[in-house]
Order: sequence, then C-alpha cells, then structure tokens
Amino acid sequence: MPLNIVVCLKQIPNPDLQFQIAPDGKDIKREALNYKLNGADEYALEEAVRLKEKSGGRVIALTAGPKRTEQMLREALAKGADEVTRIAFDEPAAYDVGKVARLLAAAIRTLPHDLVLTGVQSDDLVNSATGGLIAGILGLAHASVVTRVESKAGGLEVACELEGGLQRVYSMALPAVLTIQFGANTPRYAPLPAIMKAARQPIKELSPAALGLASWDAVSLPYTFGVRGLSPPAAKGHAEMITGTVEEQAKTLAQLLREKGFARR
Amino acid sequence: MIAIGRELASRSGGPVRVALFGEKVRALADALAGHGVEVLLAEDPALAEYTPDAYGQAAQSIVESTRPRLILVAHTSQGYDLAPALAGTMDLPLVTNCLALRFDGERIMATRRLLNEKVQAEVEIASSRPIVATVRPGAAKAAGPAPGGIITSTTVRIDGSKVRTRFLSIERPQVQDIDIAGADIIVSAGRGIQKKENLPLIEEFAKALGGVVGASRPLTDMDWLPKTRQVGQSGKTVRPKLYVACGISGAMQHVAGMKDASLIIAINTDPSAPIFEVAHVGIVADVLKLLPATLKELKS
Ligand SMILES: Cc1cc2nc3c(=O)[nH]c(=O)nc-3n(C[C@H](O)[C@H](O)[C@H](O)COP(=O)(O)OP(=O)(O)OC[C@H]3O[C@@H](n4cnc5c(N)ncnc54)[C@H](O)[C@@H]3O)c2cc1C
Ligand SMILES: Nc1ncnc2c1ncn2[C@@H]1O[C@H](COP(=O)(O)O)[C@@H](O)[C@H]1O
Repeated sequence: MPLNIVVCLKQIPNPDLQFQIAPDGKDIKREALNYKLNGADEYALEEAVRLKEKSGGRVIALTAGPKRTEQMLREALAKGADEVTRIAFDEPAAYDVGKVARLLAAAIRTLPHDLVLTGVQSDDLVNSATGGLIAGILGLAHASVVTRVESKAGGLEVACELEGGLQRVYSMALPAVLTIQFGANTPRYAPLPAIMKAARQPIKELSPAALGLASWDAVSLPYTFGVRGLSPPAAKGHAEMITGTVEEQAKTLAQLLREKGFARR
Repeated sequence: MIAIGRELASRSGGPVRVALFGEKVRALADALAGHGVEVLLAEDPALAEYTPDAYGQAAQSIVESTRPRLILVAHTSQGYDLAPALAGTMDLPLVTNCLALRFDGERIMATRRLLNEKVQAEVEIASSRPIVATVRPGAAKAAGPAPGGIITSTTVRIDGSKVRTRFLSIERPQVQDIDIAGADIIVSAGRGIQKKENLPLIEEFAKALGGVVGASRPLTDMDWLPKTRQVGQSGKTVRPKLYVACGISGAMQHVAGMKDASLIIAINTDPSAPIFEVAHVGIVADVLKLLPATLKELKS
C-alpha cells in the first residue's frame, strides 16, 4: 500500500560545541554556531525513504525554523525526500515544545499523511515530546522509540525500545505517528547528482496565514510559557582532574591505576 | 516521583495521588501505599500490557475525575510515549525531562538540561489547566516508607474500539557474548574514539587492566561492537570497581547505566563534557594519545 509520509526534521546547533549564555540570559549565543540535522532525525528520514521505496508513496520533509534550515531540507531532498516544506517560524531557540508541536500539527493537517515520523528526541532541547504531542493533537495512533517498522496489510508492525534492551512489539492502525530511535537503520549518504539536483528543487514555505494564523504569536495555547534563565550547570561533580602534558597525565594515571591495584603484574 | 510529589504537595497543601494501571497489580499497589500516598488502583484486562491508546484513555479518565494541578510521569521510554500524547489529546501544558520542579505562586518552575547537559534552563509555565511534567529518573532520592497510605479502587473508561495499537510480544536480546554486567573492570569507548580502527587500542588498554570493553550507544548502533556491550538506559546497567570512559560525553542515558561504579575515570577532550560531573577522576586529553602513553607507562 503506497504511503504518504511526513517526516519532521529539526536543525540543531552541533552539540559537540561549547556554549555561552547570551547577555539577556534567555538563550545561548548563536553568532558562531554551526548547525546540523538532529541525530535521531537522520534515522527518521532514512526510515521514511525506505518505507516509500518498499511500498510506494511520497515523503514530505517538514521543519519549523528559520531560513538557515533550507540547507537541511536540501540535504533531505538529496537523501530521497520528494518534497520539502518549511514553516517560516523564525524564533531561533523555540524553547516551547508545545508551541512548535502545534505548528507542526497544523501544517501536517494541510498535507496528505498516512504516517508521520519524528526523531525520538532533539539533541538540543531533549524534550522527547514533539511526536506524542502531534499524535494527541491530531488524534492519531502513535508509538515511541521505534527501532523497526514493517508495513502490514492495512497497518504497521512496530518494535519499540524499552529499558535494558527489551523491545515491545505492536501492530497498529494507520494513520499514525512514530518517533524513530537512533540505530533503527543505517542512514545513507546523498549521491552527488542528487545533491546537485536538490540545489534547484523548490522549498515550500508556510507563513502564519497559510496555517490560519494572524502571526506566530497568535497560536492558541492553554498556558503561558517563559524562559526564566539559562545558566552553566552548577558543577555538582567533584572529579579530581589530572593535568599536565599528555606524558605527565599518562604517568599520573598509570600511578593511580597501580596504587588502586588495577594494573596487572 | 513519589518523593517529588510529596515535597510539592507539602508546599501547596493538596494531596498526592498515585495512579496505578494494570491487571492483578494489587501487590504493587500495597507497596506504593506503603509510601503514605493514596493509590488510585485501576485494574482492567485492557491494561494488562501497556498500549499507548488504552493507557492514554486510562490516564485521561483519571485526570478528568481528579482534576490535579500537576501530573507527574517518569521520563522513560514509556513515559515519553504517554505524557506528550496525553497533553496533546487533552490540550494540556507540558514540560518534559525535568530535573526539578517547584511552585512559584501560580506558576510551575522547571529545571531542565539542554545541549548535552552543557546548559541549564529554568522555564516557567502558568495555566488554569492541569500541567503534565515528566521527571528524569534519579531526579530525587526515592521516598521512604510513610504511614497513612490507602488504596482506592477506581474504574477507568476504556473504549476498546478506540484502541488502535495492539500488543503482540516482548522481545529479549538473544546474542551470545560476555556479560559486561559481571565484570570488575570496564573500559568503555564512545564516539570520541573517532574510528572503528581505534578499537584495538581500547581492547589493549582493557586487557592491560584485566578488564572488558564496553561502549556507548552510537558504537553499537554502528555495529562496531555487539549490542551486548552497550552501557546505559537501553543497554546494561553496570557497577564495576573501575569504569574508564574514553571519549564519552556523559549523556543521561549513558550515565544511568554506569553512575554507581566505584571508581570512574573519564577521558575527554572537552572540559565542559558532562561525564566529568559523574567521574571521580577526570582527564582532559585526546584519548588516542593518552592511552598509548599510559600503556607505555604501565609496561615500564
Ligand atoms: C531512548 C534513548 C536511549 C538511549 N540509551 C542509551 C544507552 O543505553 N547508552 C548510551 O550510551 N546512550 C544511549 N542513548 C544515546 C545518548 O543520548 C547519547 O547520544 C550517547 O550516549 C552519546 O554517546 P557518546 O558519548 O559516545 O557520543 P557523543 O555524545 O558524541 O560524545 C563523544 C565525546 O567524545 C569527545 N571526544 C571527541 N574526540 C575525542 C578524543 N580524541 N579524545 C577524547 N574525547 C574525545 C567529545 O568531546 C564528546 O564529549 C540513548 C538515547 C535515547 C534517546
Ligand atoms: N522545529 C522543528 N521542526 C521539525 N521537527 C521538529 C522540530 N522540533 C522537534 N521536531 C521533531 O520532533 C522530534 C523530537 O524533538 P523533541 O520533542 O524536541 O525532543 C525531533 O527529533 C524532530 O523530528
């Protein structure tokens, strides 16, 4: 059965970087950051493309984010998405997951969707919430932390990861939302011709009006949300640091391992 | 969670109730009531196994009948499934993965960690509706026993025709390998070792200490090592005498599996890596340079 698949992709600051807090304390300093596709979303995109390749259908990649996310959307086209849409929500940090999920849900309503995929978590905000919220808002069936998806007559069979290496297997009806876990597949590299082609493909842009809103502030929310402040985490740790040159560090470490009785001989 | 609930309730003055869903879970209800709380016990054959729809309906039914100010859910694989969907279905505010929660007048303040634990955020939510919050396991010390607990049998409405997800089975890992959970010494490799070709270095180091090689999840996802070597929430929980973390950032899901090791040594190039928060000994260094140098020292 051909599937219309929407995959939600988020662009995040590379989390390997070190971060500084902006002067107003409400966000990180963003001037010198480089951005990438969120880790789990690489697996969600690959899963979407594989399902399409197997069952037929279309993959639409969807993001809510500023102009810079166009690069990520082109990457998605090069890796097999058929169409890409950007909700032109320019708030760089977008800390309120409820608001972002409502925007994504509103956009998904306007797109054909038998299946919606998200990543299991965004590595910048670590909410693990967007997929479940979208399912609840749209009234769709859902399953989370999915490591395996098979299309079965009229529905899906999915395996969901639990703690300690266990998996729970469900059969489920469509339409559905799944949050895809790291390691669910092996994401492909984009072939060069596809990258060239993606550079010329159009990116659909959704303004507030396209989602029936006067502005992005007009999203109706059952609460008010605010960031009180960001800070470097208070170091509760007490790691004793071994300093010096690598040779000195190695000497101290070897000595420590001997003292504690861990070095053989 | 009971500890956090009791602490918040002692400040706001309301009761703490624990909702327990399942079938034949009376013994668990007794154990929970031993913590001095009211247990709302909802037993139903449709709740024998977790399914998103049946548990979602049960949770919605309890929220409607009790109208709590705050709904706490554990930030676990099952919690990420239940809590956001409940918030979406009932149009409730949601804040997830909290380290701490407190009331501030009409508002709820939540402490969260962002960007590989490198940034802490305080966020506030105000609403006239019940707020859904997930709390990170280990965010508080477990609650001790307390008197006054009771069990209240509760019926929840579950419409079987609206259960779209059917439980089929639980799969357990089958691979044959050494059991790292039994090892006294574990040297674990993370994405910081850069290439699969660097694994023999980790193996050599583990061997010099009489230990075994463990790994963070990305390495087992990429099949550099079998899944059985993965330490963390979705892998093994280990309590060795020595745990050496080589190029591991210290994400909460990894730390959950190794924080109780007697001695933790962390090697990482990034001085702000959160692994240094749980480590006893930290070394800011390139693990690919430090380990060969240390091996040389150990041999001399
Ligand atoms: C539901 C769920 C379950 C999960 N379960 C687990 C689990 O069980 N176990 C687990 O481990 N993870 C788990 N994860 C993944 C987890 O969130 C992290 O993504 C993962 O632990 C990161 O692995 P890492 O530290 O090796 O990689 P990274 O986070 O990429 O860290 C690599 C580190 O290496 C350092 N580094 C780079 N080069 C060098 C060098 N030359 N020398 C020294 N250091 C260097 C970097 O500074 C960085 O700190 C889970 C995630 C989810 C969502
Ligand atoms: N702004 C966004 N645009 C598109 N998808 C998003 C956005 N934010 C979150 N997502 C999706 O939701 C998943 C979970 O994110 P989170 O709930 O923030 O942990 C991500 O892996 C993405 O697939």
